[in-house]
Amino acid sequence: MSEKAIYFDSSKCTACKGCQAACKCWNNLPTPYELNSAGTFTGTLQNPPDLQPNTRIIITFNEADNGKKYGVNWAFGRRACMHCTNPACVSVCPSGALYVDEETGLVTYDSSKCIGCQYCRSACPFDVPRHTNVGLTGDNIKINKCTGCVDRVKQGRKPACVSTCQPGALQFGDRDEMLAMAKERVEYLKGKGFADARVYGETEAGGTHVIYVLKYPLSQYELPENPQPSGFVDAFGILKPLTAAAAVATVAGLGISYATGVGYKRPTMRYDEANHDVVDAETGEVIKHIDREAGEL
Amino acid sequence: MAEQRYLQRHHKQTRVTHAIFVISCIWLMISGLFVFVPQLSAAAGADVAQFMRVTHRIVGCIFILTPIISAIISPSGAKHFLGKYGYKWDADDKEWMKKFVPYMLGPKRVHMPDAKEVKSGQVVADGAIMVGALMMMISGLVLWLGGVFGASATFLSVARLLHDIFFLLLVVFVIAHIYLGAGIFQPYKRSLRTMWGDGKISESDALYHWGKWARQEIEEGRVYEDKK
Repeated sequence: MSEKAIYFDSSKCTACKGCQAACKCWNNLPTPYELNSAGTFTGTLQNPPDLQPNTRIIITFNEADNGKKYGVNWAFGRRACMHCTNPACVSVCPSGALYVDEETGLVTYDSSKCIGCQYCRSACPFDVPRHTNVGLTGDNIKINKCTGCVDRVKQGRKPACVSTCQPGALQFGDRDEMLAMAKERVEYLKGKGFADARVYGETEAGGTHVIYVLKYPLSQYELPENPQPSGFVDAFGILKPLTAAAAVATVAGLGISYATGVGYKRPTMRYDEANHDVVDAETGEVIKHIDREAGEL
Repeated sequence: MAEQRYLQRHHKQTRVTHAIFVISCIWLMISGLFVFVPQLSAAAGADVAQFMRVTHRIVGCIFILTPIISAIISPSGAKHFLGKYGYKWDADDKEWMKKFVPYMLGPKRVHMPDAKEVKSGQVVADGAIMVGALMMMISGLVLWLGGVFGASATFLSVARLLHDIFFLLLVVFVIAHIYLGAGIFQPYKRSLRTMWGDGKISESDALYHWGKWARQEIEEGRVYEDKK
């Protein structure tokens, strides 16, 4: 199997959110019953407002002035795991729960190995991974994010979101084919007057296995301009061996210290309150400098 | 030979506070390793690592609350504790610090000046542990509650970096602290009793370690015959 990619064409998306529903159905993810958890009603159709422990994909909505007398630039975006080529989440995962599926390049995970440290969330340049059971006790925290439906892909099927997309905005296939299709579509959109149309995911974050065709400027989509794995990821990697080395060096240094101290002796001392002197308890001699005289024994 | 007399180095509350703090600190280090060392969590399995992570939070609370509760029980003790670390160094104290490493590597050859109740080297070493523990508490709380309240990824990363850096610091200083405090370092033999025994130290050892303090204690009558 070759490298795969999910293709999303924002110019074809009708924002029906069928992909959100299909994802929940296939992955057995419940829907929160609270009202739109954004808190205050803003009028947006984006719901839920962000990825959640039980929502792996959302369609984003953004309206911008189009510079004309009527209408707006209404941008529909897609927010889910980008399936990076060099995923920061995988490099920080201490338990090996997150991994790249070698055959497809999709970033998936083994829940049973997840230890709930949530390092993946702080490492991800796209702020994608979410966790269930996050709370005060933190019992049984588990990662939840898009797996690229690698289970379906292995059976020759498309990811759940792709399979349900009615206008064909979502496609799935070999990454190079998806990329070629995206480039062609961007050229077409530019020809139609969408000057800011662009491909996203070809080089971003080292190239991702999700390829977007963005019709409007990037600022209308909840996507970072220049996604970089956090510099902290490297620092975390350095600190582990550094700590081990520091511990070993300390123990070694103290070992030398111990060896040089073996056989150390000093006289038993006593304080003579009457004369305000420290004296040797055996001989009764005054000790002027406690350590000097003791050490020179 | 004259009878051996003893000085009270640490009171019971100090020793109990220290003991709870130490046991929780060691448990925090062990349970933390299950997240810090990938091979360990992989070998132990996710269930053990999850359990360790939950205990890390519970024991973390004990770690944070122990010094606070101890200070509330005895405000004067807390004041004395901070006071004995926060003194102005004189020439002896500076000399002690300067000679510390050579002394550790050659206690038979290098001779140390007289010290106050807390040696200048103790101020630095214990101070590093206190600062390290405080930073672990703060960064740990950020990592814990930040996750609950949905703090930004960068904020959490900074907290995690601090948690890792101060862990390194603590590993070094705690190992050194155990080496010295437990009396593995030959001139410091018998010092374990001051914190893990009845809190007493012999007159002879007290005069050697903290001469200025020991002499003052004896002058002021705070010296006891050993109760056998």
